[in-house]
Amino acid sequence: MSFLEVFQYTRQDSVIHRLDPRSKFVFSGTCAAISLMFLQIVPLTILLFALIPLLAVAKSLGRWMRSMRGLLGLILFIMVFNTLFATVPHPLSYSIALTLRLIALMTSFSLFFLTVHPDDLSQALIQLHVKFEFAFAMSMAMRYVPTLAQEAYAIMDAQKARGVELDKGNLLRRIKNVIPIIVPLIVVSIRRALSVAESMESRGFGASENRTYLERLQFRRGDWAVVLVSLLLLASAVYIRYWLGLPAWMMWELPL
Amino acid sequence: MIILEDVHYAYDGVYPALRGVSLQIDDGESVAIMGTNGAGKTTLIKHLNGLLRPDRGRVFIDGVDTSTMSVAELSRIVGLVWQNPDHQLFLESVEKEVIFGLKNLGFSDEEARERCDVTLRDLGIEHLAQRSPFTLSGGERKRVTLACVLATEPRVLALDEPTIGQDALQKARLGAMLQAMNASGRTVIVVTHDVEFAVENFNRTIAMADGRIVADGPTRSVLSNDRVIEQCSLSPPQMTLTARALNRLFPDVPTRLAFVEEVESQIVRLLGGGE
Repeated sequence: MSFLEVFQYTRQDSVIHRLDPRSKFVFSGTCAAISLMFLQIVPLTILLFALIPLLAVAKSLGRWMRSMRGLLGLILFIMVFNTLFATVPHPLSYSIALTLRLIALMTSFSLFFLTVHPDDLSQALIQLHVKFEFAFAMSMAMRYVPTLAQEAYAIMDAQKARGVELDKGNLLRRIKNVIPIIVPLIVVSIRRALSVAESMESRGFGASENRTYLERLQFRRGDWAVVLVSLLLLASAVYIRYWLGLPAWMMWELPL
Repeated sequence: MIILEDVHYAYDGVYPALRGVSLQIDDGESVAIMGTNGAGKTTLIKHLNGLLRPDRGRVFIDGVDTSTMSVAELSRIVGLVWQNPDHQLFLESVEKEVIFGLKNLGFSDEEARERCDVTLRDLGIEHLAQRSPFTLSGGERKRVTLACVLATEPRVLALDEPTIGQDALQKARLGAMLQAMNASGRTVIVVTHDVEFAVENFNRTIAMADGRIVADGPTRSVLSNDRVIEQCSLSPPQMTLTARALNRLFPDVPTRLAFVEEVESQIVRLLGGGE
């Protein structure tokens, strides 16, 4: 699952990290929308090559590369499957475009998740008038993913020591072997949820209607610039795609 | 016999937990492993049944390099009892839970059932046999996980923090049981922060700090060594502290006492009594 790393916050300091999560969301959303609007090799490549330098600015290029390597299996599957079974004139070009679209889409959102601290994300939601309880639940969920993973490993160790051979046997046996892992994992999670709830309540969670916040997010000039650029990009992409029509060079395809 | 040869291990290859541990534990020894949190105690015992494989160095169980054996094979020899019982309980009754491990290790239905009954009786939890493990108290769950391992009668028994959450009576019972297992020829290894528990039940203590062994010897001498005590964030056994207090008033009282009987006989002597 190493490709999911690209959606994990990296503790770095960069121009992009310092931007307001809301402006970054507009930008990521724009890039995602653009990658969904086109299914031709050239525009998607242009988009991707515009995003990669931004990843470098966010000091996260290494992590992105690792994730893409983890994604290689899926990419190969998409390529082979579509090249063989797609009913379009140039199936190879089509599958390349599909792959590029997947990568561009992931990269668009990764730029957001790589650079937004979960706390800032929930603060952004709150300032967008999402109820604190919901925003908090979301950031809690994100916070507990690594804990859950750790717990899963501990449980696997414990069951292995009882003679459960996780990587042996036929498919049915392997599915059966998941039960000794999944049941304790659920039980442990419920127990923890209850104790976290108790400790939150004993620290006054939900005690007052109008919660105050230590830090509030602020839109700065750079953020407005990012939003402006994003909207311009989106507008021109929509204009080219739906009114103007793609110029011939953008429609270029492999002869296959 | 267990031999570790210069074992190094780092989690994810970057967070060092063991930095060159060498030791030998003979059959039938009783050993306490003590040390600060993060000293590498749990990491060490995970090497005994192959859950972790050394990055560098080697581990031998009965002369066989563990790198050539699977965890399931090693679990027949080395039984590991975990710190957190919730990490392994998943069936609907205590009895099924105990039988599960036995059957994984290849015991027949009848033998598994018989061993389960005997073990539950030995641990004094036969009345829990039909209960769901999830409805039991923390201490009871811990005893169930102990039963799961004891039932397989491993020649080496390794327990990670078995005294946490157990009341004084249960602790004394556990100690007595481990001593009995040891007397019947099994090797018993325990990871613990409980100084009194170590003094009362284990002849040998291995003290660890920062991924290395800092002291290894008879429990009494290891735990009366101030430098070791400090390095491992322990406090000396109460009887050692008592002996030191007596020694300040009566310099002929030795300071390295660890047992109630020893201190008692000193006091009796000072009072001018005794046989």
